[in-house]
Amino acid sequence: MNTTVAAERSRSQPLRLAALLKGERLTTLNLFATFILICLIFASQSDFFLTLDNFLNVGRTLGVVGIVSIGMTMVLISGGVDLSVGSVAALSGVVTSILWLQADVPLGLATVIGLGACVLVGFINGFFVAVMRINPLITTLASFSIVRGLAFVLSSGQTNQLSNPAFQFLGRGDVVGIPASLLLMIALFAAAFVVMHFTQFGRNLYAIGGSAEASRLAGIAVRRHLLIVYTLSGLLSGLAGIVIASQLASSAPRAAVGLEFTVIAAVVLGGTSLSGGKGTLIGTLVGVFILRVLDNGLVQTRVSSFYQDVVSGSVLLLAVGFDQIRQKLAAAVKDRS
Amino acid sequence: MTAPLLTMQHIVKSFYGVKVLDDVSIDLFAGETLALLGENGAGKSTLIKILNGDYRRDGGEILIDGQPVNIDAPRDAENLGIRMIYQELHYAPELSVAENLLLGALPRRGGALNWLIDWQQMNRQAHEALALLNVDIAPTTKMRDLSVVEREIIEIVKALSRQARIIVMDEPTAALTPPEVQRLFGIIRGLQARGVGIIYISHRLDEVFEIAGRITVLRDGKHVGTNPRAEVTHQSLVQMMVGRSIEDRAEVRAQSEAITPGAVALEVRGLSKAGAFNTIDLQVRAGEIVGLFGLLGAGHTLLTQAIFGAIKSDSGTILVDGTPARIASPQDGQRAGIGFVPLDRKVNGLVLDMSVRKNITLSNWRVLTRFGAFQRGLEMQHSRNWVDQLGIRMAGGIETHTRYLSGGNQQKVVLARWLEANVRVLLLNEPTWGVDVGARSDIYDQLEALAAQGLAILMVSSDIEEVLSVSHRILTIYKGRLTGEFSQSDATQEKLLHAAAGGQS
Repeated sequence: MNTTVAAERSRSQPLRLAALLKGERLTTLNLFATFILICLIFASQSDFFLTLDNFLNVGRTLGVVGIVSIGMTMVLISGGVDLSVGSVAALSGVVTSILWLQADVPLGLATVIGLGACVLVGFINGFFVAVMRINPLITTLASFSIVRGLAFVLSSGQTNQLSNPAFQFLGRGDVVGIPASLLLMIALFAAAFVVMHFTQFGRNLYAIGGSAEASRLAGIAVRRHLLIVYTLSGLLSGLAGIVIASQLASSAPRAAVGLEFTVIAAVVLGGTSLSGGKGTLIGTLVGVFILRVLDNGLVQTRVSSFYQDVVSGSVLLLAVGFDQIRQKLAAAVKDRS
Repeated sequence: MTAPLLTMQHIVKSFYGVKVLDDVSIDLFAGETLALLGENGAGKSTLIKILNGDYRRDGGEILIDGQPVNIDAPRDAENLGIRMIYQELHYAPELSVAENLLLGALPRRGGALNWLIDWQQMNRQAHEALALLNVDIAPTTKMRDLSVVEREIIEIVKALSRQARIIVMDEPTAALTPPEVQRLFGIIRGLQARGVGIIYISHRLDEVFEIAGRITVLRDGKHVGTNPRAEVTHQSLVQMMVGRSIEDRAEVRAQSEAITPGAVALEVRGLSKAGAFNTIDLQVRAGEIVGLFGLLGAGHTLLTQAIFGAIKSDSGTILVDGTPARIASPQDGQRAGIGFVPLDRKVNGLVLDMSVRKNITLSNWRVLTRFGAFQRGLEMQHSRNWVDQLGIRMAGGIETHTRYLSGGNQQKVVLARWLEANVRVLLLNEPTWGVDVGARSDIYDQLEALAAQGLAILMVSSDIEEVLSVSHRILTIYKGRLTGEFSQSDATQEKLLHAAAGGQS
């Protein structure tokens, strides 16, 4: 008996080291440090960077990516991916403006129907992934293309005006000096945080992403969870589309092209695993901040805009690469115990 | 006597100040099978990894043919003729046996450019290699179409054809049926006849007694002893491995006298699924452990899956506590009060990258949540309770990811989840597959305690000793039909094997 206790105790030492290396807290902490570092670099290069005005500038650009990344985080945690988010965002604006301008539907109702269309797309994505068991990459690649096409068909490729003060408030308005879209994003993040970290639904999503079959055999309704997650991603993408339309006071079928990549980059940067089961919304939030601040800072420091994509891609690779090394290290420590 | 083929002397290895191998010495002669026994963490795999150059030893010597050698990397081991056959085989499933055997050294033709694969020559070489061990597999068969044991045999043939002198097999029989094990043993004897030395790692003592000439036992990184097979018994080996004596379960059971089972908790009537099982009728009473014994593919695993709702059955009725239950999904099964422990706990039983706590509460959250949110304190209290009751041991506490638990403790976590979900019936599939001897007996104790508390347990197992020692009653299944029922007192190995092979009882 004594020997086993001693063995257990001695074995726990490397385990603790491994746990520390592997901890998700450290990932988030690293990220936060990266964020601060980036801010410091830009602050030393530009006088305007650290001003309140610039902060609000950044805040205004956070909303769209932030809102979509909430849904994307949940989808990735459940072990899937949603490539259709950019197309879906374009769809909500197009549907809303068409209904308002051409069918005389009141703008409020038109917006709700526009969002409804996105919910439907999300639900169909979920149906094909969860019920038909088609690979999510393929499913959402198809809807990425179909929905973008539909946006062009519905709008005949035209940009439509959406000038209405109430509608524009979401994209351009402030509440006590804080951009409304930023507030919306923060509220949604808070709600999603509660769901993912305190409820059974969130716990189940992690479990499903970790092992869908083990979750099913533990009595979790896997299909229902996946349906909900993709539907939610559709809704949030639609909402982001409304924010875009509201910011521009118009809807365009070309809106939000490439949004899926920015969002996935932010989420992965935030420590969410592409293979599912792992990730946090806090991490995603920091990831979104980093990408946006990077864009903003590069503009402030007058780096050619051609370099911006190069830089944000490199940051992604560095951050994820560093994380990978850290986890390998943790695994190595653990293996040897 | 000539010098041993391999000698590992006074091997010492530490990780971060923890000694995992402490002065371990083994030797291996040509044409011999040496069994390496020990519980998880005893140092078997570290020793083997040192031999293979995966780890560097801190102290000690390795000699081959009496000459000291340096093994600093896997490549060194390969050059010395040391080959590993791991549990998980790596092969290209869509390629033929011949291509897999000669991968990396495919014969070429086509003149000066030499670009083309010489298929004829390749198949001929493969055929010759297979003939060395009298393996009757066509070189053109795709790997995908082979059985598990055939793939292992191909791996062994490959090792031999690449001048292996020492072959290490790590639990080669973990996924094999008894006839397949015999086939593998035939191959091992062929290797011995060719002068290859074999180090054989297994948890199955009966196999070790059959195939090994000598048996080495490690415990807590120390060499406990090496003995010729004739000089040890089943019990003495277990004692060496565990460091204490474990009573013979069947004897203890016989003394404690028959249990008195309660009312029928699970009843299955006429359950059928085409191609899997046919008009199954069975009952399990509260407090009873019923063993379901059959050979691989007999339909027992599918039967338990169907009872739980993991797969759909074509017809039949399932009653829990006398009430018919409509079971079409695992949620239905769980709601009806049935728990299911799947065959492969790592893949299907646990979410490996989730903590012990979260895995335990995965199925039972209605009690633990208020307005959909977890009550952290209550959840902690419940999961701690099961950790204590079942004796789940983990180095890093209840937040340790289940990936890092030993097999036995992982299995207990799966059990704890169903106990937390408050089930009445537990369906177990091979509950001690890949579990240490010591931990095995611990799991049996837990199962008996749970039965004593009124749980009805149906246990599928292909380990005949396990079925005989743990079950109160034993059913045999053959090609989807129940072929026999035995009380514990009149079941014997012969009777069970006879019934499970389709003979009339």
